[in-house]
Amino acid sequence: MEFKTVLTVCPYCGCGCNFYLEVLDGKVIGTIPCKTSPVNEGKLCIKGWNVHEFIQDPDRLTMPLIRENGSFREAGWDEALDLVASKLKKIKEQHGPDSIGLFASAKITNEENYVIQKFARAVIGTNNVDHCARL
Amino acid sequence: MTNSVDEFELSDCIFITGSNTTSSHPIVATRILRAKKKGAKIIVADPRRVHIADLADLYVSHRLGTDVALLNGIMYVILDKGWENRAFIEERTEGFEEFEKVIKDYPPEKVAEITGVAEKDIETIAHWYATAERGSIAYCMGITQHTTGVDNVKTLANLAMLTGHIGREGTGVNPLRGQNNVQGACDMGGLPNVYPGYQPVTQFQIKEKFESAWGAQLSDKVGLTIPEMTSGLLEGSMKAVYIVGENPLLSDPDASHVEEALKRAELVVVQDIFMTPTAELAHVILPAACFAEKDGTVTNTERRVMRTRKALDPPGEAKTDWEIIADLSNRMGYPMDYSSAEEIMREIASLTPSYGGITYERLEGEGLQWPCPTKDHPGTRFLHKDRFVRGKGLFHAIEFKPPAESTDDEFPLWLTTGRLYFHFHTGTMTRKSGALTGEIDEQYVELNPEDASQLGISTGDEILLTSRRGQIRAKALVTDRMKKGEVFASFHFVESNANILTNPAFDPIVKIPEYKVCAVRVEKAAS
Amino acid sequence: MIEKVIERVKELLEGGEIKGFVGLCNKNGHTAPYLFTEVAELDHLVVGDFQNPGDARYPLNKLLIDLYRAYPEEKFGVLVRGCDERGLNDLYVWNQLTPKNVVAVGIPCPQELADACGCPKPYPDNSVAEPIAEGAEAQDLIRMEALGVKERFTQWMEVFSKCIKCYGCRDICPMCFCKECSLELDELIPRGEMPPEIPIFHLVRAVHMAGRCIDCGLCNEACPVDIPLRTLYKKVGDIVYRKFNYRPGFDKGKSPLNVLENK
Repeated sequence: MEFKTVLTVCPYCGCGCNFYLEVLDGKVIGTIPCKTSPVNEGKLCIKGWNVHEFIQDPDRLTMPLIRENGSFREAGWDEALDLVASKLKKIKEQHGPDSIGLFASAKITNEENYVIQKFARAVIGTNNVDHCARL
Repeated sequence: MTNSVDEFELSDCIFITGSNTTSSHPIVATRILRAKKKGAKIIVADPRRVHIADLADLYVSHRLGTDVALLNGIMYVILDKGWENRAFIEERTEGFEEFEKVIKDYPPEKVAEITGVAEKDIETIAHWYATAERGSIAYCMGITQHTTGVDNVKTLANLAMLTGHIGREGTGVNPLRGQNNVQGACDMGGLPNVYPGYQPVTQFQIKEKFESAWGAQLSDKVGLTIPEMTSGLLEGSMKAVYIVGENPLLSDPDASHVEEALKRAELVVVQDIFMTPTAELAHVILPAACFAEKDGTVTNTERRVMRTRKALDPPGEAKTDWEIIADLSNRMGYPMDYSSAEEIMREIASLTPSYGGITYERLEGEGLQWPCPTKDHPGTRFLHKDRFVRGKGLFHAIEFKPPAESTDDEFPLWLTTGRLYFHFHTGTMTRKSGALTGEIDEQYVELNPEDASQLGISTGDEILLTSRRGQIRAKALVTDRMKKGEVFASFHFVESNANILTNPAFDPIVKIPEYKVCAVRVEKAAS
Repeated sequence: MIEKVIERVKELLEGGEIKGFVGLCNKNGHTAPYLFTEVAELDHLVVGDFQNPGDARYPLNKLLIDLYRAYPEEKFGVLVRGCDERGLNDLYVWNQLTPKNVVAVGIPCPQELADACGCPKPYPDNSVAEPIAEGAEAQDLIRMEALGVKERFTQWMEVFSKCIKCYGCRDICPMCFCKECSLELDELIPRGEMPPEIPIFHLVRAVHMAGRCIDCGLCNEACPVDIPLRTLYKKVGDIVYRKFNYRPGFDKGKSPLNVLENK
């Protein structure tokens, strides 16, 4: 038996409410608002209260997928990433770094956004990196 | 936000505009409603009579896209009555004379005509806000998602400077950010013109600093925004897009145009947690970990950097976004050998002055609000205390401009778009939740009873909503929350996507699309 | 007091009497609801007084129910105050927990907290320490009752109109365990509307709290728009007490409103 309460931040709006995810034997079974949070003081909206419902949805993507003849087939990480790397390299050589763009995300962490813009700038060589701040 | 969320409780007048606060930022609304209980005056200006308008001391419904006119009218009254803060204007600002000249053109009678707001209400707003001890402004996408988005924001800044309601606790110009890490994505340089910490890509010393830190040649050419990348794909100058955790097919204006653009790309990579409509168009899909499956930080609307923590392993082969990018980078010959998110944060802190004092250890407890430049800095509750970033605050002389699109006989109504309380953004997460879909799981287009009766439409009827770009089918919800001539649709539902209709006209400076106003026609659908 | 709680839990864990202890833990600079399974972890045990007495209380009995449902054969300890113990008593009555699976480790509340809660019995029977406060009267209810009907109605409608339908009052409630909830019945309260229809949403919940609410006040603290829900539920509790002489958790036997058969 393993039961955990893990303090984290709501993935929805910009309020940044803190809550505990209740995890029993590898299954997330509930959300408990954090009362000592300076942001939400133990309160949540309906979206926050139910955030545990989508996390382990059976529709989550679990394998890299490659399009082939109009449909997707499962692939390993090596195959998928080698394919992306070779295509990006080829496009960069043929059309220049500014023919490639990256969409960073307002729904991932700071560390991940940092790594994505670093990848765009240092690896691809373009400042074509943006996210949906305006949307 | 210039100020912190809990500071709303200290305000004695809160002016909310273009924000459906109880619905889209419920926990910010908590503080605003507490302020009201303590006696603060709450003013709501919004074309839609949103829930918080019911709870306000004064609600005005200006016509869509007339924000600058309304605000200039309020400032006309403030100047006319001598309610401006002369000391603040003289000590802390510049550009006042030019600004004042423009304001003189916005007497209440003219503004009432443009906006549909009664003169006496314009005067009351001016009175309450200007004479408050601590006046605070809260706004959201109702202000920014216009071709005049920048004008609207600058006009709000004018209002705060005119009255000196900035740089103190309980005051400020407070944009409520719509996604849990939209602040952080901007802070981290997820923008085409700046490195982390808003350091311009065009500045030589900055470029040099990053070149030496990253050991790579960098470009000093400002990159493309998302709408520009879409156009680039259509024109053929762009060949590949790598999309992480975004669903532009639903979230971008004129969705058919976005779909066409993605179909023309040589390479579309989508890294996401679900098979989104955008992912359906990808050549390669990479499965990502969701928020509950990784360590890291996010930065909320009040600039508070907070820890997210791993509660679960990602499903199947899914990995965190940073692990995938680092792996790809290694395969492209640029080594990224981070061992943890914490290690990445150390690099961020070393290159980003406003995050300089942030460490995981210090984030335990309440987190830290940037700017936090050094390891012993306590973080910053509110900005612009003694000076603005540029030194003096600059008044902008801004004239009212109408929306990009006009109504006509064929498209006689205005459409405005936004979120519902029960769902989030493009619905990829919230539509997996039974508790939320049990509340509502389909598009209801909201329209005014008078328009509805003229069109012979009742709540629950199937209708067609058509703009110059496309058509969607939806159900009707007849409600007096909408005023005559204006209708509302959300963008949560792929099968009835409001962004098929919206106008890809952008603010010339920041390229934000005009989601909040376009011309449409409503008709009853043949059953 | 914390030392006494730790001592007792240590005894229970070391003696193998319980599988784990549902309590509160000082973690990440916050007070977290937590399952203690190792004696070594007990250094981090707290009782929920973060900045003020009782300001970091959590519905621990609700966590206990989750564990009981997954591990019905195991026995768990749980940290209780007076209200939580009443909750346990009532959850036994409603067959949501069984006494043989639970060891309550109780702590008394200080007078400040008892007064703020208007708590009639701010201490549990099974306690590691003697009571330190006397029962207090519910001042909020007294104040509300002093108003005229019209004024009361206006005040309630005003506070209900702020509701954002988060269901937090229900979701935090240690006594809400139904698989199907009347608040989600479209026929009673149209779904998908925010604000929800008032006052029906709140009255439906209030009726369901009659004979069940143990007056812990967690609903008040979870409400994002500060609706004084506790006062409302105190009132329905008061009516049930006067009509049926029954107070949930205090009195043995079934609630007069419990139509479930005993197992």
